[in-house]
Amino acid sequence: MMDSKVPVTILTGFLGSGKTTLLNRILTEEHGKRIAVIENEFGEVGIDQGLVINADEEVFEMSNGCICCTVRGDLIRVLGNLMKRRDKFDYVLVETTGLADPGPVAQTFFMDDEIRDEFSLDGIVTLVDAAHINEQLERSNESVEQVAFADVLVLNKTDLVSTESLDKIESRLKDMNPMTKFLRAERAKIPVETVLGLSAFDLDQILERRPSFLEPEYPFEWTGVYRLKAGNYELSLDDGPDPNMSLVAVSNQNEQEEALREGAEWCVRRYAEPPQEVFPGDTIPIGQHADLQLQSEGHKKFFLKIKETQDIGLFTQHTAEEFNIKLFKNDDESKVRISPLTERTWVAQHEHDDEVRSFAIECDGDVDIQKINDWLGELLAERGIDIFRLKGFISIANDPRRFVFQGVHMLIDSQPEREWGDLPRRNQLVFIGRNLDETSIREGFNKCLV
Amino acid sequence: MSGLKNFKKGILRDGWTADIDDYVIVCEWASGGNSLLAGDVTGGISAFDSSSGDTLWKRERNHDGLLAIDVHPNGEVFASTGQDGRILIYNVLTGEKNKTIEVGPEWVEHIAWSPDGRWLAVAYSRKIIVFSSDGQKRWHSDNHPSTVSAISWSGADELAVACYGKVAIYDVATECIQEQLEWKGSLVSMVLSPDGDIVACGSQDNSVHFWRRSTAQDSMMSGYPGKPAHLAFDSSGTLLATGGSETVTVWSFLDLGPEGTRPGELELHNRPISSLAFAPKGMRLASGSKDGSIAIWLLQKDGDGELLGAASLDAPISRLAWRPDGRAIVAANAVGKLTSWRVKN
Repeated sequence: MMDSKVPVTILTGFLGSGKTTLLNRILTEEHGKRIAVIENEFGEVGIDQGLVINADEEVFEMSNGCICCTVRGDLIRVLGNLMKRRDKFDYVLVETTGLADPGPVAQTFFMDDEIRDEFSLDGIVTLVDAAHINEQLERSNESVEQVAFADVLVLNKTDLVSTESLDKIESRLKDMNPMTKFLRAERAKIPVETVLGLSAFDLDQILERRPSFLEPEYPFEWTGVYRLKAGNYELSLDDGPDPNMSLVAVSNQNEQEEALREGAEWCVRRYAEPPQEVFPGDTIPIGQHADLQLQSEGHKKFFLKIKETQDIGLFTQHTAEEFNIKLFKNDDESKVRISPLTERTWVAQHEHDDEVRSFAIECDGDVDIQKINDWLGELLAERGIDIFRLKGFISIANDPRRFVFQGVHMLIDSQPEREWGDLPRRNQLVFIGRNLDETSIREGFNKCLV
Repeated sequence: MSGLKNFKKGILRDGWTADIDDYVIVCEWASGGNSLLAGDVTGGISAFDSSSGDTLWKRERNHDGLLAIDVHPNGEVFASTGQDGRILIYNVLTGEKNKTIEVGPEWVEHIAWSPDGRWLAVAYSRKIIVFSSDGQKRWHSDNHPSTVSAISWSGADELAVACYGKVAIYDVATECIQEQLEWKGSLVSMVLSPDGDIVACGSQDNSVHFWRRSTAQDSMMSGYPGKPAHLAFDSSGTLLATGGSETVTVWSFLDLGPEGTRPGELELHNRPISSLAFAPKGMRLASGSKDGSIAIWLLQKDGDGELLGAASLDAPISRLAWRPDGRAIVAANAVGKLTSWRVKN
């Protein structure tokens, strides 16, 4: 039954963010999909071709006054008619107006019985005008919500902004919505398959993509990448602010920014593992969480053994400057100082104090189904308005299957998925919302554990 | 669609079947029951002979997306509307087009001739436009709060219009709003009792709301699992049949009801109700479902009923149409098939 549903992508973004350009790109590219477009923007450039329907955005609130039950009446009407000619198309794209709150659009696919039967929400794609997003986030709630709801964020018009500003914007947006996939584009030039057919609610994909969203601040401040031939090396440190320091040495660390980020993600997980204490004069293990013991006064030496030529990344808890970290090649007679190919400091990411934040609950163990139902039901009834998105999976006691959740405001869909098999049974729930009380939500969840 | 094959046909006797090209949007009897008009989603309209099912005429692609058809009370003329923003008026016997009215770029979603045939009303996006019977535009309303979701004539000059938040009742002759029945919610369907007193609407929030205009009393019936998009009143104005789930829920307006009473619940279908039609006279109700089944029920005045016959087709039912004499019924479905049965007394 599930497979026969027509997938729907919601395209949001402020006026001028490039939605129409992207739509035209999608419609003209060869992708083998017959796409119906429901367009809502007035006054922008028209769409060139395809089955395009103009719908006047009609937001319908319910008599119960609950904003989470608010739906888009025009979509129900138009999609209701479209599904009668469904052999003519196999994909639907809904473009919202720039000022639209994405909530009602997404809720339509949960709330309306007929729409729910025929369509499935594939993903929410938000385009961001890199040159203007900062002001938009300050000025408008809709803009914040469009970012918070997104499964994919396309940072568009990158040609108008410096790489440094782009990094800052991305870091700010990531803080608001760590589950999203980031793409950078000029003139909305992105591969169609990165926005269509995402099954964006496939959590495995999200988790593989960004395992560190659980830990938005990196536990290290500095990375140096060194090109090292086979041989013995000496890492020297002077006295610094702490009596010990964590370090992970990553083999085959490419010096490019993207690779550094990947390396950082990998290191986050190493840092989460219990460290191995390494004393002066010892050899630092490669690819493991090492805790350098720096209690003794003065100059301290550690060793690195490199078997074959490669680039090594050192991810250190503190900056090189703080401990005057230096690397030398130890030959039989001489000692040659090696300079890093590249250095990078990892800045604290909370530069903006946005109300919209996210956090994740992650823990081992099983939960009691009754307790989690009661707790989630109560939480969503009370706080559903502020919870934009909820995604995750949980391990229910005495059930071999993994339960997957996804929700929009107080609407939640939970389904048993594949069996755990050999995988460790864990729980992972990600909340994105406004003014969320992380502590009490964590406490609430912990009470559901068996 | 399995498991229904064993249903007893009861009072249903197999008649003819016919095919049109795609999802049947509308099917309506014309010429006093001598012919049946059926239109599909792509805009094709065909006429079939009532007794043999032979095609009398066929016209393809009248609209780019057909939305509605209504037959004039004289049975000789009908009008259609579509997503192309046009109204077409045809001769029932020949299928020839008499007139084309270009309304505008938006959808013309609903159409209804007034009971005496003097007016033709259409819903055009948020507006109502009224034409005289020869197709001359006479009047249009202001914009409603949302796209109009249903229209129905409640008297010779009186038109009820449902939308988000209200039902507005217009006097078309004086071009004034006579009455507004307000309800904070999105009204998705509407049916009026034959005397025009009771206005019943299905709402997006899975409830049925109704107003009695003579006493200014209104009530809400909630608890439906889905939205009641299909409603029907019997010819005496006693029973209101409603969809909104796989059960047909029947409210009785007998005595002080339906407030405080239990509705009749007719159970047979396995998927939500997709069409409801009372026979032109008497207490027979036909129900069709997304599971492809149809059922004929004999109702009592309290809303309960017994099954008189049932049948199963291979695709969701989109429309049921009783012949004006109540002796035959046609079911139209989502794959373009028309199936007729004779109905025993």
